[in-house]
Amino acid sequence: MTEINRTIQELVVDYACALRDGALPEFLKSLTRQEASEIVSSRQFADATEVVRVLNEVGFADKAVMPNVSLFISRVNAQITSRRKKAAWPAARGSATTRRSAGRAGRTEKRL
Amino acid sequence: MDRRLRKSLKGLTDPDLQRRQRAMESFVRYTFGRFIKCLYRYLGNEVECEDVLENVYADIWADPTALANVTDERLLVRTVYLYYMRKRLREVYRRLNRNLHLSQQGLQNLVAPEIGVLESMSENELCETLQQMLGKLKARERKAIELWMQGMSMRAIANELKTTVGAVKMLKFRTILKLKELARTMKIGVE
Repeated sequence: MTEINRTIQELVVDYACALRDGALPEFLKSLTRQEASEIVSSRQFADATEVVRVLNEVGFADKAVMPNVSLFISRVNAQITSRRKKAAWPAARGSATTRRSAGRAGRTEKRL
Repeated sequence: MDRRLRKSLKGLTDPDLQRRQRAMESFVRYTFGRFIKCLYRYLGNEVECEDVLENVYADIWADPTALANVTDERLLVRTVYLYYMRKRLREVYRRLNRNLHLSQQGLQNLVAPEIGVLESMSENELCETLQQMLGKLKARERKAIELWMQGMSMRAIANELKTTVGAVKMLKFRTILKLKELARTMKIGVE
């Protein structure tokens, strides 16, 4: 497969378009090895992307469809509850496992 | 900072669970709009913004200590970005990294970089500064940026400016760098 490497200005514009369209993963996947190394080492690219991100916020964040805050709060509450349960669960499971393994050890010891 | 926001920030560390929950609810209500806009800057996708922000709030709930010394809105956004958002933003694309040519570090810097001069400004300051900077551009450069911000494609902008797509890309790149330079020279840096 032939790889056509884009110049840094093309990469900046493609990054800007991907960010505007919410398609950053596609942009990342489209990078060739050469382009990726150019992006990482280019100071101009880093400078340009900062401006692009700011323009993206100012130009498009207001037009995006955002959820209702009350609905979002219930999502956050659910996430917090789920995390608390998860945090409590391994401890309970861990102690049960310890008990079980202790029991097994006990049996083994008896047999011996 | 708004008095109620300050109160809710204080309430996040309250030992009483119910009071803490109320504070969290109020905190989400006050900061949701600002935080989601901040995330939109890096993701450009509402669905991903919501998912990341949900985790960010849950992280704040789990450990709100980083917000203890926050005194104004700008510092709040900055602290939340540095301590909570950046980690989550990086996670969003980390799963892609197996198939990418970017190194882990390169990906992190691209997706959730260090906070820059423009990015550390408050919303109002940012709009004002951008207006000033756009006013200093040449007419053609300004038009290219404005058309792009209206959502037009490169081809459409090229047609509008009666030039080629390649020329528009070059113009846009140069204009963006010029904006960055203007931001530097206007000495709008924070800190």
